[in-house]
Amino acid sequence: MTSLANKIQDVFNEPGCDKNQGKSEKERKKGCTKQLAPGAAAGGCAFDGAKIALQPITDVAHLVHGPIACEGNSWDNRGAKSSSSRLYRTGFTTDMNENDVIFGGEKRLYKSIKEILDKYDPPAVFVYQTCVPAMTGDDIGAVCKAASAKFGKPIIPVISPGFVGPKNLGNKLAGEAILDHVIGTVEPQYTTPYDINIIGEYNLAGELWQVKPLLDELGIRILSCISGDAKYHEVASSHRAKAAMMVCSKAMINVARKMEERYGIPFFEGSFYGIGDMSDSLREIARLLIERGAPAELMERTEAVIAREEARAWARIAPFKERLTGKRVLLITGGVKSWSVVAALQEAGLEIAGTSVKKSTKEDKEKIKELMGQDAHMIDDMTPREMYKMLKEARADIMLSGGRSQFIALKAKMPWLDINQERHHAYAGYEGMVELVEEIDKALYNPVWAQVRLPAPWEETSWEERATKALEAEAAALVADPERAEEARRAKKVCSCHNVNVGAIEDALRADGLGSVEAIGGATHAGTGCGGCQGKIAEILDAMSSAGAIPASKAA
Amino acid sequence: MPQNADNVLDHFNLFRQPEYKEMFENKKKNFENPIADAELERVREWTKTEEYREKNFAREALTVNPAKACQPLGAVFAAVGFESTIPFVHGSQGCVAYYRSHFSRHFKEPTSCVSSSMTEDAAVFGGLNNMIDGLANTYNMYKPKMIAVSTTCMAEVIGDDLNAFIKTSKEKGSVPQEFDVPFAHTPAFVGSHITGYDNVMKGVIEHFWDGKAGTAPKLERVPNEKINFLGGFDGYTVGNLREVKRIFNSMGVEYTILGDNSDVWDTPTDGEFRMYDGGTTLEEAANAIHAKATISMQQYCTEKTLPVIAAHGQETVALNHPIGVKGTDEFLMAISRISGKPVSAELTKERGRLVDAMADSAAHIHGKKFAIYGDPDLCLGLTSFLLELGAEPTTILSTNGGKAWQEKTEKLLASSPFGKNCHVYAGKDLWHMRSLLFTDPVDFLIGNTYGKYLERDTGTPLIRIGFPIFDRHHYHRYPVWGYQGGMNVLVWILDKIFDEIDRNTNVVAKSDYSFDIIR
Repeated sequence: MTSLANKIQDVFNEPGCDKNQGKSEKERKKGCTKQLAPGAAAGGCAFDGAKIALQPITDVAHLVHGPIACEGNSWDNRGAKSSSSRLYRTGFTTDMNENDVIFGGEKRLYKSIKEILDKYDPPAVFVYQTCVPAMTGDDIGAVCKAASAKFGKPIIPVISPGFVGPKNLGNKLAGEAILDHVIGTVEPQYTTPYDINIIGEYNLAGELWQVKPLLDELGIRILSCISGDAKYHEVASSHRAKAAMMVCSKAMINVARKMEERYGIPFFEGSFYGIGDMSDSLREIARLLIERGAPAELMERTEAVIAREEARAWARIAPFKERLTGKRVLLITGGVKSWSVVAALQEAGLEIAGTSVKKSTKEDKEKIKELMGQDAHMIDDMTPREMYKMLKEARADIMLSGGRSQFIALKAKMPWLDINQERHHAYAGYEGMVELVEEIDKALYNPVWAQVRLPAPWEETSWEERATKALEAEAAALVADPERAEEARRAKKVCSCHNVNVGAIEDALRADGLGSVEAIGGATHAGTGCGGCQGKIAEILDAMSSAGAIPASKAA
Repeated sequence: MPQNADNVLDHFNLFRQPEYKEMFENKKKNFENPIADAELERVREWTKTEEYREKNFAREALTVNPAKACQPLGAVFAAVGFESTIPFVHGSQGCVAYYRSHFSRHFKEPTSCVSSSMTEDAAVFGGLNNMIDGLANTYNMYKPKMIAVSTTCMAEVIGDDLNAFIKTSKEKGSVPQEFDVPFAHTPAFVGSHITGYDNVMKGVIEHFWDGKAGTAPKLERVPNEKINFLGGFDGYTVGNLREVKRIFNSMGVEYTILGDNSDVWDTPTDGEFRMYDGGTTLEEAANAIHAKATISMQQYCTEKTLPVIAAHGQETVALNHPIGVKGTDEFLMAISRISGKPVSAELTKERGRLVDAMADSAAHIHGKKFAIYGDPDLCLGLTSFLLELGAEPTTILSTNGGKAWQEKTEKLLASSPFGKNCHVYAGKDLWHMRSLLFTDPVDFLIGNTYGKYLERDTGTPLIRIGFPIFDRHHYHRYPVWGYQGGMNVLVWILDKIFDEIDRNTNVVAKSDYSFDIIR
């Protein structure tokens, strides 16, 4: 097995990821490489995941070894801010051509590294593997090693070619790269009992800076942020931190956990989004630091700052509450943002009409449920039509989502606010919460939405009316024709990875009397991809067994 | 000295040389009786205060930096839109040179226009002889199909009677009896360029429809299905009229653009000099009487023309330089209602595209404060669009706007919560605007090229929309009407907003942490 394959297996074994741990040995071997259905329009690649995870390290050169496609499309496309070096914004690529594909690109890579060191003299060069050299067999690890020995500078191979899997895997592989080659290679000049790492925070739109002043005030030092506004030597010496906070859900959990394992740095998972979450995070940081030997009075000072900042934020949000109370929000985004933003929005008086759980883990879902109560409308993969339907039923006034959903929202004529990485407003900390509320207020009350929802004055029926009629006609047809209704019910897709619908699962249950989610997976492949639909399969199983539709002898 | 024959420095560089700098400094110190820097600074700061503004607004006689041009300029603008027509300005020659240079600086194209070249003796004895000789020379030298006579102040002060003069000239054989010489009195001491447009348009219409100053029978209106179109005085006439034609064609509506000067100021470089390129034939101008209705894009440019048209039995519709979704909706609905033809699918799609673009970008414009100045209709059109975008117009000023305009604008502002903190100033100038930009600061200023001094003095970024635009090229080739025109205006506004964000973030190693490629 190649070292990359080993590395991926290692990542999949991540004990900090309950989802992976919940899988069988065989499933785990397959990994969380959710096999994207060919033909489906879907997300990024492992290379992109690795690049976005490390690109915020500001003073190193990020050299992409590959044809122009990879760096050409990823060059400086994230709003990760830097307080000093601008080098991370310079696009370095080997720009492989046909000859490199035929004869190998290692020499070109080596020369590129040399030229970067000659002309820019960065503290380190991060070299990113991409699909083409991975397929032609360029040994990036060897080139980096040789260059490192020759030039006496750390040259870090980031082995995460696009084809190995999705973005999330790339995040983790990037984490592995810095665990293997960076963290622990430099000793900090000095340490304090107040040193922390923040892991998985990318300083998008300068969010870290909304939080940092409070930490500064408390005398807490961010020894290293991985990787927002980070410098190489900070990451390299981060192993001396006393405690760590893991910010972005599971993206870099391997870094947090392995640092705990290797260097004994305890970590907690927290969020800077939302007033309550922000306060909890500050408390957790203080608690962990005190556990590791910081004076206990830190907690008192922390509580004082929290009390002051909460009061200030509330006072600033109060004027908006009147305008926002009762407005309903549809939240389409993944992972940590789902639940942390839910709390934030509720604080501003907004109601959550629904939220997607894409990219969210089971734990995320539980948190959302906890915050929103049982009737949380979690929408797995919302189609534009469903979005439209929610709007039509006045169940949502605004949608918050990432940039890619923006255009769907706009076509669905819904006010929209960007809360993903390309946003230009920072929403972290107490300050960010006030900003988010301001932005929601603006988006809700922008006159363009009135315009967007009005049909052209000469149009006799708007497209909404036509769509409603189509929906109604469809519903009526189904009522009139039970056979077709049953067909439609059975055609509803359960597993997107393997394209398995309700009918197929029910048939399998009836015929073979399968008694567990795993068995269903064995027979139909449903739930063996990303595993996201296992909950749904369990529901079908429950419903069928309580209805007595499964041959009793075989039911578990 | 740095200046020598071997290397002659131009004005960008010459006076930056140390010798010149020193010389100027000495000159100032020793010969100019300079005031202390502190005093200078004190007065400069004082001009930014409420107190100064009060004094500024108490000005009664003096106009400082007017945002308007003169009547005869508008007269020439209207006249060149007719087939092989030369504008003939009865009055002094210098004025005519102004109109021609004014237009070429804006359109970067030549403008044909002649003058009766009145001199001192004409001022004393009247300009009849200048008219007689002028018409004869113009007719013989430039072979026009029509000579459109307007006036400058000089002729108006002495009271030359154009109707009588033209009659006499014809009798004296300057031009043939049946030759078309419409006329309009257009003194600069009345109104502004928009009035001049109105008067000439009215003059041409009356000439063709009402029996050519008694030399032909009056036309009898036989209604047909056509729609007449009046653009009004418009710096974007090249792009706008082409867009309007496309709109009419798209809906399959027959139309006559009265005074189609879109080609006049956009002639190709193909080896041929086009002295005339007015697109409205004389026949079309005459037959326009039969149209079902006339649509004017600018109410305050056609205050006299529309009643004359209405008096001949046509419906008239007056709009206010429509920009954006609502304005364009009204324009298209008017065409649709009059013609009985539906708005085309093509235009409906364009509408959706504009709405889409506005929704994509509105967040950047939302809540931004704007000051606007310009011609009255343009101010109304821009205000309406800004309100659609969620911008907050704060100051609207029109030197050639009157009380009626002010009330109409205030009504428009009252229709939107985004207009509630806005003040409208009729008859004020750009020095008033300067005070307002200090006492009621805004994020952006919309106006013509002259706004660049306000931009410099007050630091308010200028979005160049209006007439004249001298220091940027070719904007007049883009429409601001129709949904596509709205798209252009949206882009211009956004460009400036993003330029500002970039400008504020590009100080190397100081603020460039926000100098991003994605906005």
